[in-house]
Amino acid sequence: VIWLWIVLGVVVLLLVLAGLGYNRLVRLRNEADTGWSNIDVQLQRRTDLIPNLVEAVRGYAAHERGVFEEVTKARTALQQASTPGAAGEANDMLTAALGRLFAVAEAYPDLKASENFLRLQDELTDTEDKISAARRYYNSTVMHYNNGIQSLPWVLVARLLGFREKEYFSAEGDTALPQVSFTPAT
Amino acid sequence: VTLQQQIRRNRLRSSIVIVGFVVLLGVVAGLIGAALDLRLGVVALLGAGLYAIFAMISSRAMVARMTHAVELDPDQLRPLRRLVENVSIAAGLPMTPEVRIVDDPSPNAFAAGLRPQTSYLGVTTGLLRVMPKRELEAVLGHEISHVRNRDTYLMTMATIFAGVIALIADIGFRMLLYGGGRSRRGGGALVAVLAVVGLLLAPYAALLLRMSLSRRREFLADAGSAELLNDPEAMALALRRLQLDTTTVAYADASVAHLWVESPTSRVESERRGVLALSSLFDTHPPLEARITALEESGGFRLPEQLPSDEPFAAEVGLV
Repeated sequence: VIWLWIVLGVVVLLLVLAGLGYNRLVRLRNEADTGWSNIDVQLQRRTDLIPNLVEAVRGYAAHERGVFEEVTKARTALQQASTPGAAGEANDMLTAALGRLFAVAEAYPDLKASENFLRLQDELTDTEDKISAARRYYNSTVMHYNNGIQSLPWVLVARLLGFREKEYFSAEGDTALPQVSFTPAT
Repeated sequence: VTLQQQIRRNRLRSSIVIVGFVVLLGVVAGLIGAALDLRLGVVALLGAGLYAIFAMISSRAMVARMTHAVELDPDQLRPLRRLVENVSIAAGLPMTPEVRIVDDPSPNAFAAGLRPQTSYLGVTTGLLRVMPKRELEAVLGHEISHVRNRDTYLMTMATIFAGVIALIADIGFRMLLYGGGRSRRGGGALVAVLAVVGLLLAPYAALLLRMSLSRRREFLADAGSAELLNDPEAMALALRRLQLDTTTVAYADASVAHLWVESPTSRVESERRGVLALSSLFDTHPPLEARITALEESGGFRLPEQLPSDEPFAAEVGLV
């Protein structure tokens, strides 16, 4: 009879542990999802700003068609990106295209002085800062989630339970994990 | 040791400390009950609970009053708000804490509020006038880390607990002395002596618990800032700049000292107390030098002799 109780105790203990572990994975997954929606909000804000910016520059430099097309193409790619990895790539493309757009704008002092343009430029800079902040958070949540489902014993059953690895959102080709990298940033 | 592990360990320690507070409160109430009257002990416990709840509800407004932190016109604060937003996003906070300004030439900052949703940061005008953007962001990262790690919650609770324990221990002590303990049972005198000693020591035990809590948290918040911004050197530079500054915050009540990024009370005073070997036990903050060294060691860099002479944030954005 005592053996029965011991076996029962062990089973209950295992069930409790499994429950706690499962809840932890769910929490990690939710954190990563929240992290992604934070990025998404900022990406959305960025794509919303682009048409106005293109219009503002077009008013002064209508003939620079190539640059406008490039920006619009990158914007569409970003809107259509369905995974974090693809969105990261499209976002880098957009950054590069916008760089060229602003280089073009340099040649037009009137444009550079216009209040509308300055405001848009300021908003874009802010959005880019926020994207990079949201990226640091998202990537760290993804790292913890992926670590969680890749470690024993969860690696054996994670797929069955519907836990799939998540992609990092990398920008500027840096895939470094946002652990404290501890390199002086100067 | 990764930051995550550190946070987990710290949370465990915090729970132990909170349990310590509860036990201490129970001991104080028990001593009163044993030495005076059982009913008095129960009343003390209930009273302490009510007081704690009241203090929790009013803590947010109370801190603002004690620190003289005021809300400013949102337009005026926009560049600063943006920095706070960015750091909050990097920390994954559900929402950006409010920013309040303390009109004081001494550079310092604090975080307050029980939950991340109701938290706010206080920043002195001196901080904006002294720190360049990069270092200001690191200080904000330090405060946001306090919010994220639930330090603000824990420290508020600890302050309340320490206050409650000091209060009822004091009341019990006076009643014992002047009212006289009833020695209904045998060994009543022994109980009374034990109670007197216990009630005398309890507030100090509470204070020690509270201080031990806050000093560890400063190291952790420094590391948190380094991680959020991926820039440990910025935090170290900011601390060095605080170290070189000799001013102190005018409205620095001892009861909110633990909230600030740098201990706001007079350094002369801490040096004077430095004569006592025990004094550092009661400091709310570890020495700035120790914090800088910790950042240097984990970050693998050395601070330059000369601080960067970048333009202070206030001048850069035309603030205050």
